[in-house]
Formats: sequence, C-alpha cells, structure tokens
Amino acid sequence: MVGKNCFAIASDRRLGVQLQTVATDFQRVFKIHDKLYIGLSGLATDVQTLYQRLVFRHKLYQLREERDMKPQTFASLVSALLYEKRFGPYFCQPVIAGLGEDNEPFICTMDCIGAKELAKDFVVSGTASESLYGACESMYKPNMEPEELFETVSQALQASVDRDCLSGWGGYVLVVTPTEIQERVIKGRMD
Amino acid sequence: MSRRGDWVYENNGGTCVAIAGADYCVVAADTRLSVGYNILTRDHSKICELADKCVLASSGFQGDIKALHKNLAARELLYQHQHNKRMSCPAMAQLLSNTLYYKRFFPYYAFNVLGGLDSEGKGCVFTYDAVGSYERTGYSTQGTGSSLIMPVLDNQLKSPSPLLLPAKDAVTPLSESEAVDLVKDVFASATERDIYTGDKLEIVVINKAGMKREYIDLRKD
Repeated sequence: MVGKNCFAIASDRRLGVQLQTVATDFQRVFKIHDKLYIGLSGLATDVQTLYQRLVFRHKLYQLREERDMKPQTFASLVSALLYEKRFGPYFCQPVIAGLGEDNEPFICTMDCIGAKELAKDFVVSGTASESLYGACESMYKPNMEPEELFETVSQALQASVDRDCLSGWGGYVLVVTPTEIQERVIKGRMD
Repeated sequence: MSRRGDWVYENNGGTCVAIAGADYCVVAADTRLSVGYNILTRDHSKICELADKCVLASSGFQGDIKALHKNLAARELLYQHQHNKRMSCPAMAQLLSNTLYYKRFFPYYAFNVLGGLDSEGKGCVFTYDAVGSYERTGYSTQGTGSSLIMPVLDNQLKSPSPLLLPAKDAVTPLSESEAVDLVKDVFASATERDIYTGDKLEIVVINKAGMKREYIDLRKD
C-alpha cells in the first residue's frame, strides 16, 4: 500500500499443505535492496526459487551497472522471468513495492505468467485476495503518514486473513520511508 | 461429447448486508440484476418484507429467490390467519430454514440474510447457506461481494465477531445512523471491486417506529 513518500508491504506467516499447518514463521516478503521489496504468494517452492533467481539477477545487475535497480525495471524483470515459463509457470503471484526516482513510491502486482498491473493505491495477492480487496478499498486513504499507514495495513491484513482458513498465524508488516525501514511482527488469531 | 442441457441454475449476482443494533436492524442490498457479463436491469429489488418486523434479503438465482419469497409470504399470511398475529423474526427464521432444507436435494440457489426485531425489540440477524443451515449473528453479508465486505464488518462493528469462542450475543453498540453510514461505505468499496455489485443501494431500517426505506446511488460501471 502506498503512503506519503513511503510504502508498506505485509504478509501473513502461515505455511500449510491444505488443512495441515507446516510452519508459522514462513517468510514471504523479501528484500532486493534497501528500497525495493517483493512479496510472493502461492506455491512455497516456487516462492523460494523465484526469490533466489531474482536476487541472483539483481546482484549481476549491481556488478555491471554499479547501482541498484529501479522498481519499474525490476518489475519488468520479474514479468519477463515469469513469462519465460508461459507453458509451465511458476505458481506464484508477486507483489512488488519500492521507492523509485525522487523516492516516489511504486507498487505493482502480477499474475503467475507476468501480466503487470500497476496501481496508485494498493495491490493484493494470495488466497485471501478478495477479502483484502474489500478491506483495503474501505480503509485506504491517500497520503497517509508512515504510522497511520502501518495501522491501516495491519488492520486490513488481520481482518482479511481472519476470514480465510489458509492464511493467518500472525502477520509481518514492513514500512519503508526514504530514511528508515520499520519491520514489525503482529500477533493475531493463531488459527 | 457432454451435452450440458441439465444446468438449471444461473447466478444473477448482487450483495446483501444486515446489521443488528440494540433496538434497530439495518438490511441492505444492491439493485443490479446481471447475467454473465451483461446487466439486465439496474432497478431490481432483492429485499422482501415478510412481516412488520421482519425483512429478507437474498442474492443468487432470482428465479429461485422469487419462488422462495412467494412461498414464505404465503406461509406468513396463513400464520396470520391461524394465529391472529404476524410472524416474529425468530419464527420466520426457523420457517426459512425448514423451507430451504425441504429442497435439500434440489436446492433453492438463494443466499439469504434475514433481519428484524425479535420479540423483545432487540435487533436480530440470521444468516443462511443455500440448504438452510442458519445462525443468529450480530451482522452478516451474502452474495458476490460478501468476501469483500465481511472483513470490514468484522473490523468496524465493535461487536463480538461470530468467529470468537465462546459465542457471545452480538448486537453492535453503534447507533442507527452510524450503522447506516457503515453500510453505505462498505457498499461503495464493494462496488469498486466487484462487477456484479452497483447501480443503486436499497437500505431498509427496522425499529420500533416501523420500517423506513432509503435509496442511494452507486457506481454504474
């Protein structure tokens, strides 16, 4: 979700196989560089493989260009990587958030074969995506300060995952401004 | 080759919401009727007044919904003649459940929310699945926009959520106008993201003074 010169990216922490919960501390939001994060929902093995491939590509980019990738460029990279597997896809929906030129927040999401969807307000993905759409649409206001943005994202996440049996077991929220990064783990319904 | 000449249902879309308060009940539904990606009309009511303190909102297949409402209205009239009084909301709730289960093996494709005042004058909301399983709650939503609206009601209604255990008697402490404002907000949000919800919002408020009806415009796209 976008705020005033900042963004927040959040996920739940459950890893499950249908009804069985396998882990309650699964990491879905990954750092690419200080001002660029990617969240991946879907099949856990694809989440981890895709993250490893993206970090690899970004490190190569850093070596060649001697600078960090812009969020827009990174989004195009993810899109291309996913479309390479058009007829045998990665079962993941990424959510990308970063601060671009002049610390302008950038967010986008994609389907599992790389169709990019830019947004100015918020993007969602995962099993609770419909609930998240409703909650975010109701709770979002433009130009929120970081503290208010954190509250809004946490409330929207908690309310939505509480209505989804496959999501939950706490939340992980990261708020990034040009000067600092705040990460917090939220305790919610552990079921 | 499989001939699909046997699929007898269709989903006409739409969303219904009901919220129970200490001495009022708000029942609301949008007025769009759709088939597939087309809109058949922007002005179709999904709400049926069954008794003076009892209102039913249903979304799903409108053919079955019309039949269900007709059935229940007829049974209510019979009750009136036999008992010399109108049916109370909890009684209608049980009747609706039994009517739905009667067609357990060829169900009414109707997702219902019943709202009204109970015999003590407190707000009550009953929520159903398609075959009659029901529960009295403090608030509920059914229909295509329900998964978008439900988390917001959980968060905003400051009343014990049906997800808490042990089950608590759950009417919201909000006032009538606050509840109506909340309903307008959630429908505005659902209209943005759900293609089957929109056009107009019909809100019925039941309190001891009677029933009031209000229409609000929603996005038509």
